[in-house]
Amino acid sequence: MTLDFINTYLMLILLSSLLVNVVLTIYGIFFKPHYTKKVIALTILSDTLNTFTVYIGYRRWVNELNPRPPILTVPPTTESIIEFAERAVDPLPQALVLTAVVIGLAVTLFLVFLGYILYAHYKTLDMREIRKLKG
Amino acid sequence: MKLVELVLLVTLILSIALLLTFAYMYLTPTSEIRNLAVFYLVTTYNPQLPFYTVNSPEAVTAIVWDYRGLDTLFETAVFYLALIAALALARKLYVEATPEFNKGNEGLSVIVKTVTKITSPMIIAVGASIGLHGHLTPGGGFQGGATIAVAPMIIIIVFSVLYLLTKRVTTEKMLLLRSLGLIGIGLTTISAFIIGLTAGRTTYVFQNMPKFDAPLGLPDKLNGVLISGTLWFFNLFEMLAVASGFTMAFIVLMLVKKEG
Repeated sequence: MTLDFINTYLMLILLSSLLVNVVLTIYGIFFKPHYTKKVIALTILSDTLNTFTVYIGYRRWVNELNPRPPILTVPPTTESIIEFAERAVDPLPQALVLTAVVIGLAVTLFLVFLGYILYAHYKTLDMREIRKLKG
Repeated sequence: MKLVELVLLVTLILSIALLLTFAYMYLTPTSEIRNLAVFYLVTTYNPQLPFYTVNSPEAVTAIVWDYRGLDTLFETAVFYLALIAALALARKLYVEATPEFNKGNEGLSVIVKTVTKITSPMIIAVGASIGLHGHLTPGGGFQGGATIAVAPMIIIIVFSVLYLLTKRVTTEKMLLLRSLGLIGIGLTTISAFIIGLTAGRTTYVFQNMPKFDAPLGLPDKLNGVLISGTLWFFNLFEMLAVASGFTMAFIVLMLVKKEG
């Protein structure tokens, strides 16, 4: 049981659970009849995809040294910057996820207000009932 | 099973297969990262490369507000439009009236109220710390604003939404604060350009540090404290905009009448 094997094993478990999550939430969005459950599935899907994006930027352990967050905590000499670039993870996916989380929250608020309008209009949030009512 | 559902299922399976195909090389991370990431990591805080660096030890904030700042500007616009659309949907569903008399009997028990009174200033302080130190530690304007917006949400749940309205935290004031934040973001965007106009030198919109052909820029240190040029101001104004926008949305959400 080397460290390398444990790393690969744990990452594969993480990856497969993310994929299962994606499949389940897409199923929930399309086939669950209730509006609220669709919104919940959508938020779980966006969180799963954010986690997957951060996972892409992750880095394997080198020489039994763990990867570091992309933050320089020592004075910026040439040696410390080289050591930093050799060990830090990819900062770009984290930067993209950062804004996506807050915008996802704003879009969820919009969907909640849309649900209010739907309920005020149709007196139900069941998509099967709304489809029957036709307008 | 209907034809539509069958087509949907096949599409789902095929798209997951497509995702797996493209993600194959990332299934287990390697010890190397992309050259672009190495460039970001090397130049994020490197005084030896004065025309490339952002002078921010935090690479994520440097990417968010400097290397890919235009992206973040448009994402702020998306955030703004999503909240405006949500409020426009709710505009006839709620009545915002300040009650004249508040006995203090509403809400949860005295213990919960006292704990909320103690912790909500702490939450706001922690959020401000996350936002204003965004160029030094993990965090930034988005996270700090979202943390600050937790405090009014707790107050709404514990004291009822009328308590916030008696304390004069209304949607108009939150809209004013939010507009202030967005105007601040806009002004910070063209600040280097205005400095260049007044000094008669070449500068660019969305410029932060001095570049090869634009030697003027914003200072990286103010009175000996690292502020990384525009990053500190962007974080401050984004924190204002996010916190007040979410507070406004929570107040409206709690005022909506159930029967519509």
